[in-house]
Amino acid sequence: MSVLTTDTEAGTGAGPAPAPAAASRPTRLDLLVLPALIFFIAFAFIPMIGVLLLSFTDWDGISAISFAGFASWRQVFTDPGTYHALWLTLALMIVTWLVQTPISLLLGVFVAGHQRYRAALAVLYFLPLLLSSAAVAIAFKSLLDPNFGLAAGLHLPFLAQDWLGDPTLAFVTVVFVIAWQFIPFHTLIYQGGVRQIPVSMYEAAQIDGAGRIRQFFSITIPQLKYTIITSSTLMLVGSLTYFDLIFVLTGGGPGDATRILALDMYITGFKANQMGAASVIALILVVFGLALTLGIQRLGGTDRGASQMEGM
Amino acid sequence: MTSPITSRRSFLGLAAASTLGAFGLAACGTSGPAPSGGASGGGGGGTATMWALTGQPAEGIRKNAVEAFNKLGKGTITVTTFQNDPYKAKIRTAIGAGEAPTLIYGWGGGILKSYADADQVEDLTSWIEQTSGFKERFLPSTWGAATLGGKIFAVPIQSTQPVLMYYNKSLFEKAGAQPPTTWDDVMKLVEVFNGQGVAPFSLGGQSKWTSMMWLEYLLDRIGGPDVFDAIFANKADAWSDPAVLESCTKIQDLVKANGFIKGFSSIAADTNADQALLYTGKAAMMLHGSWAYGGMKDANPDFVANGLQVGNFPSVNGGKGDPANIVGNPANYFSISAKATDAEKEVAKAYLTDGLFTDAEVQAWIDAGQMPVAASASDKLAGTADATFLQLVFDLVSRAPNFQQSWDQALSPGQAETLLTNIDQLFLLKLSPEQFATAMNATIGK
Amino acid sequence: MTTMTVAGRTSATRVKGRHNYLGGLLSWIWLAVIILPIYYVVITTFKNQGDYFSSNPLSLPIPPSFTAYSQVIKADIGLYFMNSVIVTIGTVVPVVLFGFLASYAIVRGNSRLLRYSRWLFLLGLAIPLQATIIPIYLIITKIHMYDSLGALILPSIAFGLPLTVLILSNFLRDVPKELFESMRLDGCTDWQMAWRLAFPLTRPAVVTVGIYNGLNVWNGFLFPLILTQSPDKRVMPLALWAFQGEYSVNIPAVLAAVVLSTVPILVLYVVGRRQLLSGLTAGFGK
Repeated sequence: MSVLTTDTEAGTGAGPAPAPAAASRPTRLDLLVLPALIFFIAFAFIPMIGVLLLSFTDWDGISAISFAGFASWRQVFTDPGTYHALWLTLALMIVTWLVQTPISLLLGVFVAGHQRYRAALAVLYFLPLLLSSAAVAIAFKSLLDPNFGLAAGLHLPFLAQDWLGDPTLAFVTVVFVIAWQFIPFHTLIYQGGVRQIPVSMYEAAQIDGAGRIRQFFSITIPQLKYTIITSSTLMLVGSLTYFDLIFVLTGGGPGDATRILALDMYITGFKANQMGAASVIALILVVFGLALTLGIQRLGGTDRGASQMEGM
Repeated sequence: MTSPITSRRSFLGLAAASTLGAFGLAACGTSGPAPSGGASGGGGGGTATMWALTGQPAEGIRKNAVEAFNKLGKGTITVTTFQNDPYKAKIRTAIGAGEAPTLIYGWGGGILKSYADADQVEDLTSWIEQTSGFKERFLPSTWGAATLGGKIFAVPIQSTQPVLMYYNKSLFEKAGAQPPTTWDDVMKLVEVFNGQGVAPFSLGGQSKWTSMMWLEYLLDRIGGPDVFDAIFANKADAWSDPAVLESCTKIQDLVKANGFIKGFSSIAADTNADQALLYTGKAAMMLHGSWAYGGMKDANPDFVANGLQVGNFPSVNGGKGDPANIVGNPANYFSISAKATDAEKEVAKAYLTDGLFTDAEVQAWIDAGQMPVAASASDKLAGTADATFLQLVFDLVSRAPNFQQSWDQALSPGQAETLLTNIDQLFLLKLSPEQFATAMNATIGK
Repeated sequence: MTTMTVAGRTSATRVKGRHNYLGGLLSWIWLAVIILPIYYVVITTFKNQGDYFSSNPLSLPIPPSFTAYSQVIKADIGLYFMNSVIVTIGTVVPVVLFGFLASYAIVRGNSRLLRYSRWLFLLGLAIPLQATIIPIYLIITKIHMYDSLGALILPSIAFGLPLTVLILSNFLRDVPKELFESMRLDGCTDWQMAWRLAFPLTRPAVVTVGIYNGLNVWNGFLFPLILTQSPDKRVMPLALWAFQGEYSVNIPAVLAAVVLSTVPILVLYVVGRRQLLSGLTAGFGK
């Protein structure tokens, strides 16, 4: 059974005189949630309404804000660039998931093993997470320079491609650099998940004659169901809104090869000074994100109310 | 398990203290960008703020000029510098937030117009008229980009910056070739240099306005200034002019012939990496603004003194444009924020009359190889280290029948951003000339 | 200790017998992928600018040059570091505090307000921070906090709350109701129960969300990009980005800035690694 060492603490009950209980209890709890609620509403929820309102303007950032009806909406939805950004974002999300999940899962399982050197590996694997996205992007920018970077150093001409200048390669590079930075994070999540799988299950399987691969697919993966959902949710929602790294690495280029939705929004708003249109794009981002989160919830079938410890 | 920090009092105390501390420190920033650490100048006068770009030699010259001004006792100016691309975004959010600097750096044209339309910059017309001798201190051709609807909204500063061709002499000697005078020469040279394993042209394609300079010249050479005038006047389908299509085709021919250095679309001009390619001998030629002369002089004075040759953009056979036309920035400009306090505006105006283009500053520009837009400059050229170059620039600028302002400055911000993206696509061979024209026609009137 | 380690041994103690050669090989390859860029960055910081362009990028600099570092340190990097610290602490403490209180209330109560709050925070998870940047810019300028560190803290708190509440409430749900009942019988108020019972039990998750939020804020880029402008209000990621331009082609200096910006976190990592890792796996492994 799960062990709680707070029994002693709960038992003594030595404290100030009991407050008048029942009548004020509902109010008390409501009060506790207020600070968080206020902050969230003020700086997250109201801005959301603000985005909706701004989408009906054609504000340029410095003049007065004036109502413009659906003009910005029309502009965004008739612009092929918007659909391109949507498509790129979708592609990025899918490819990112396909690249990062298997690698993180395998690494997480591997690192969860108890050999000493694996722990040392885990320490090193974590390093990329310590860097800010800006730092990672800057480092890779000089690393990938076809003339002065890593390729020149390793004398591998095949590595001396125009990584950041060729549209297709740029996309691949972005996927790679994002993976480089975030696989460590998901590895950790999977490591944590794997550590919770009771050995008894593996021992039973081994007795039944199941090999390592069979064990992996029949035990590890099903047991990691919620971990996979958590990691995937974070990964997908994260890649939907990915901005920092791509902004510094490619700025959306070359051309518009990496101009995902979030970047498209920034460029439309802060470079072309079309805040109304940028707000429309922002709304698309929100709808996308909401649909995604709700979709994953439904798919995962998690009832947030139930504890996962049932039955243990 | 029990642990010290679960003691409610001490934990809350710690939390409160650190949060309050953090907020206290953070709140110190709530007052707007007050000039911090101004120069220790004379007692009199108020303060003002100035934003400008990083990059030598301009940065150093401006710093000295401002320090000299601060000692005059008419006010203290604090300068904040930004890199080119980030500056363009930052200044906008600053103006929108009501936190614009007193002296706003710019290029005139469409962006200045958007500021003026939003009542964010001072109308300086009457002040200039009333300050005797002021207008004459500047090269006459520079007032155009600052004048909108007959009113003047900015004062020319720094240098006039035509776009020129730069050549690496030793690479030309090695190839036994001459700098090009016509476009056909250019295409032949591309073959020659590729054969030698040297990139024909350096290009900082990631910055996009660098690619734009090519198109500006080609369009002017082929169709003459009227084509862009029509675009600027927002005439419908102005981009479908045959000259536009021919220019785009020629550019794509150049790209397909490997005229530009490999990886050009990921090289940024902001870091001067494109200039480095020329003086390290990796590229033979480069099309860039006259500021590149100063930049390269700063990084590699030996190359500039002995290995560099400069010329005007080649002509195009059968083109309507005068080969003596130039494109570029007639000047840079300072505007005064309309939202600044009266005291700040006074200091700013004092700087424009007494701190700008002092003899020392003019000399500094000349010494750095830049042609200042001060009328007094032309007399000072003789005998200076860069006399040849500066005389070339001066002659080009004063004799040019037409000095086309950079498109991304002349057009409105929305049009400019689309233009840059489409030019980028054009260079990447992702858009055909017809598609380019269609896409740009859609921006007419925006 | 907590509700983490379930009865008996976990898979962490398994695998005796055949070695996993394929796994071993792949893991070493991945290690190389991780280490090579880091190695490149570090050694480049010890070269000077001229050498950078002429020498092999992977060669060791002998003798090492410290010019890059001195250039960077002279350029106010200490200030940017302090700014980042202020913003991070100023955000993480309220997020954890308010988030914990909110989670406690949501798990323990069921008034309408609390139920709506729960849904609001869940939906908040799906709101991308980037989408709201323009209105936040407007709000911040209207309350005259533009170009201040506070401008970075307030929205960061708001956006850190959903995940915090999610994770903490998940954790709290596993605390058996009986424990609360017995404290109630002893006459404790909700406030006391929150701090004396719930908080210690959720400590690993609190550490997790603290670290997660801390890292996010420390590395945050978009808010500082839009909401601050003065150099003296820059935080580290923004400073790095600005360095990239100010130092032009001086790659060693730019990378030195990158290294220096990471060193503090590296130190924290070395010192608090166990705590960090156990916290992270605790919160997310569920």
